[in-house]
Amino acid sequence: MKEEKMENTTVCILDDEAIVGDRLKPELEDDGYEVEVFTDSASALARVNETCFDIFITDLKMEGVDGMGFLERVKEKCPDSEVIVITGYATMETARESLIKGAYDFIAKPFRIGEIKAAVKKAKKKTRRRRQG
Amino acid sequence: MQYLGKAFAALKNIFRRGKENQAPFSDLFVWFQNILKKNNAAMELIADMGGKIGGEFIFDRKYLSDSVKKLEDLVRSSAYDLNYITDNQYLELYGVIEDLAKKLEIELSGKMVIHGAKKIYVLNEIEDGMEDLVGFKTYNLSRISNLSGVNIPESFAVTVGGFRDYMAYNNLFEKIEGSIEECRNGQRSVESISNSIQLMILGGEIPPGLRRQILGAAERISQGKAGNCYFAIRSSGVGEDGDLSFAGLHDTFLNAPFDELLSNYKKVLASLYNQASLEYRLRMNILSLEMAMPVLYQRMVESRVSGVLFTLDPNRPDRQESLLSGSWGSGKVVVEGDAGVETFRISRSPPYPIMERQADATSLMPGSLEKDPLQEGSDEPDAGPCLTAKEVPAIMDVGLILERYFKRPLDVEWSIDESGRLWILQARQIHIPRPKRMDYTELKGVTEGHRILFKDRGMIAYRGIGAGPVWVVENDHDLNNFPRGGVLVSHYAPPWLAKVIPRASAIITDVGAVTGHMATVAREFRVPTIVGTDVATRLLASNQEVTVDTERNIVYEGLIQELIRHQLLDGPSFEMTREFQLLRRLLKKIAPLSLTDPDDPGFVPKGCQTFHDVMRFVHEKAFRALVQAGKDSRSFLRRGGKRLRSRLPLDLVLIDIGGGLAEGVDKEMYVDPDQITSLPMKALWKGLSSPDSWNTEPIPVDLKGLMSSLTRTQSAEMLGNALPSINLAVLGSNYLNLSLPLGYHFTAVDAAIGSSPENNTISFRFVGGVTDITRRSRRAALLATILEKAGFKVQMNGDLVIARAINLSEELMMDQLFLLGKLIGFARQLDVLLKNDEDVGYYFQKFREQAEKPAERHEGGKNGEHDGLYSG
Repeated sequence: MKEEKMENTTVCILDDEAIVGDRLKPELEDDGYEVEVFTDSASALARVNETCFDIFITDLKMEGVDGMGFLERVKEKCPDSEVIVITGYATMETARESLIKGAYDFIAKPFRIGEIKAAVKKAKKKTRRRRQG
Repeated sequence: MQYLGKAFAALKNIFRRGKENQAPFSDLFVWFQNILKKNNAAMELIADMGGKIGGEFIFDRKYLSDSVKKLEDLVRSSAYDLNYITDNQYLELYGVIEDLAKKLEIELSGKMVIHGAKKIYVLNEIEDGMEDLVGFKTYNLSRISNLSGVNIPESFAVTVGGFRDYMAYNNLFEKIEGSIEECRNGQRSVESISNSIQLMILGGEIPPGLRRQILGAAERISQGKAGNCYFAIRSSGVGEDGDLSFAGLHDTFLNAPFDELLSNYKKVLASLYNQASLEYRLRMNILSLEMAMPVLYQRMVESRVSGVLFTLDPNRPDRQESLLSGSWGSGKVVVEGDAGVETFRISRSPPYPIMERQADATSLMPGSLEKDPLQEGSDEPDAGPCLTAKEVPAIMDVGLILERYFKRPLDVEWSIDESGRLWILQARQIHIPRPKRMDYTELKGVTEGHRILFKDRGMIAYRGIGAGPVWVVENDHDLNNFPRGGVLVSHYAPPWLAKVIPRASAIITDVGAVTGHMATVAREFRVPTIVGTDVATRLLASNQEVTVDTERNIVYEGLIQELIRHQLLDGPSFEMTREFQLLRRLLKKIAPLSLTDPDDPGFVPKGCQTFHDVMRFVHEKAFRALVQAGKDSRSFLRRGGKRLRSRLPLDLVLIDIGGGLAEGVDKEMYVDPDQITSLPMKALWKGLSSPDSWNTEPIPVDLKGLMSSLTRTQSAEMLGNALPSINLAVLGSNYLNLSLPLGYHFTAVDAAIGSSPENNTISFRFVGGVTDITRRSRRAALLATILEKAGFKVQMNGDLVIARAINLSEELMMDQLFLLGKLIGFARQLDVLLKNDEDVGYYFQKFREQAEKPAERHEGGKNGEHDGLYSG
């Protein structure tokens, strides 16, 4: 019997520096995720209004709605999704704030590809458990 | 930290007791410590940036600009510190730093430096990121021109700047602007517009300056034989051979004699606006006044046979086959697809068996009917009339080296001259339509059935996929027999592996740092590399075939062709991203160290080419300021220096700048070796004072007298440097600077060792001697060999030897210092003993025997670690 294809976990990447999404997308696709990339928070938010991704990866400092604002909106609209915050301004203060606002994990830029893959994998497990439970 | 503070305070008190006018001397320690700290921080930043170039990290522009900013701050404030303690002796350093900072700013701003850039570049002057200046064709050639085994005819490029000069000189921009507009609006036929623009360009005049430069560059290539030297003049358009395929749209002129160099330049420029080009640009919506045409001048190879290699058959990329076409004479026939061509379909796996051959009758030229002498008696399949059985694999070898470098299937134009030498004329990507991206289940399927030998071991120094036979390198013999496309496996990652790196398909080491010299070279040649796996030499054996996937950090048994193909046909690799290229360019202006010899006349602020140079300069001059403050040993002793008690005939003064000596020695005049707490000094002293080191060979009586005189120090003037003529060690808990003006030679060691490898560095310098320059050079050669084998990066010039080790673990660094200690003792009498060249080998052996007594190195340490360090 043909194995039923499991629905892919979806990931939304938001970073105003295109390089982050450009490099991360194929890496995550290699691991079987379905990935969409945005470089401005407005269009990412527009997309969030249409659909909730399982996992969000967002930068903190951006033009317009910044990462912290984006995080809040996502947690409001998609409470079952997990958000991983990535930023070059890695201070304890911002880390703490993002975690209080519901971020699942916090990763300082620049990061190893393996590091973020591991974080995404853990987030995926958590969303799966939530979905099943 | 608290301890340091106390130490400073204590020292300050001692110095205050000195003469009034020498009071600032005490401050020197504090300032010097500050400079050291900044130096460490700068080295850490540089290493951090270097580590990002391997592809393992995702970084953005912000990271690059932040890092540069931090580095600039450190460099500026170090220069300030130096000027403070030297009474503004090095003010010009500020100007040098600002020049460097400006260059980095320009890179970061992303503005191409066309204005002010040179009009002509020879290949080896072309730097990363200059593709928009010299055109892709030239740029690609310049990237591969230093790969070993790849010959490229002498070439130079007339840049976009040259093109703009030509256009401006002849007022062509304004004239063409209108025509382009007409073309866009479809007011006039493309053919007629093309004709009129080309006529305008051909009717122009080359600006006199540019004309002189073109002819001058060509003359240098022809080396006075202008009558016998011919050139290929090729279009090297911006975007050509890059993202867009302009292949064949623009003109190339072969066999141009000297008097046609200038007229052909205009013809190539005009071809930018030929009908096909205009139509293509119109269709692709890239028709604009910004179009530009760099031109490549390449010395013509007198071809016996030439052709084209497609490293992967574009029509059947799933088959592991290359297409090779060749014909007699120069390659235009093949490129233009005329008759007289012979084509082979060849397996991509060595020894590259020919799967299929199509010969066109006209390729059977006179001469080809005679049997090639190389083929006689050979069991190998006859490659065909125009290529010998040995030439096909040679072309394949080079083609696959280039493919590994660009990580893309390539279209390579090659030529073989009368002497049988293979030349690469150009190399460009083949645009093979990307298959549907292999999804992760397919990817899993591809690797299924291949045993994983090990995974997630060590650190990735460069990302990619490589496959081939393992070649474990333990000594020179292994190194010299390294197979093309082999997977280089080594216990250590010493710099001397560098010579085979361009030929390697992947590199795996047991020990080593991502930021070490070897890893830097691996990145330069884009070879997938894992360092510090611990297990590679144990789990892998020579000739075993493996596939190394450093993207996922897995080493598989066997060759997984699909995985390699997957990489070749995949989207642009990380090397092609702007950020990556920017980092490479920034690092070129930051990381290389060219100021290695403080006594070189070039060791001046103006000689600083990178920020690393500036930091090196500041460190050296600050150190000299520190030690020059005392005139002789007495003046140092009076201010808190200590004499070291030792059986060695070495009057060594120790100065503690913090944590270098045990507490409670303040009041002592003499200290014992076991009161040294400076980590690097402890290791070095252990080597220097170990039983064999100081007296390696019975010296004839008459020489003994000489030797004893040699341990006396030498006057500063004779040494050509301004250091005080005493044996002096400046110690910190993790720092050592030792200068030994022993006899007629001068030894210096500068080392910083601690628990974070990024900060660890040793530099060793040895120069001079009592005998003639031949013997002294002999000794230098011996020292260089020993140091190189031990994993140092070595530079030699006459009787001067400079060796560096960086970024190794604390333990390995201590071993290196132990070895240097032994070497210092061993070396001081060598020039007397080395009577002829054969002696070099004898004493090399002698030293190895000595240095391999592991018991001396560590008390109960991990002696096994050191096996193989001297296996060369």
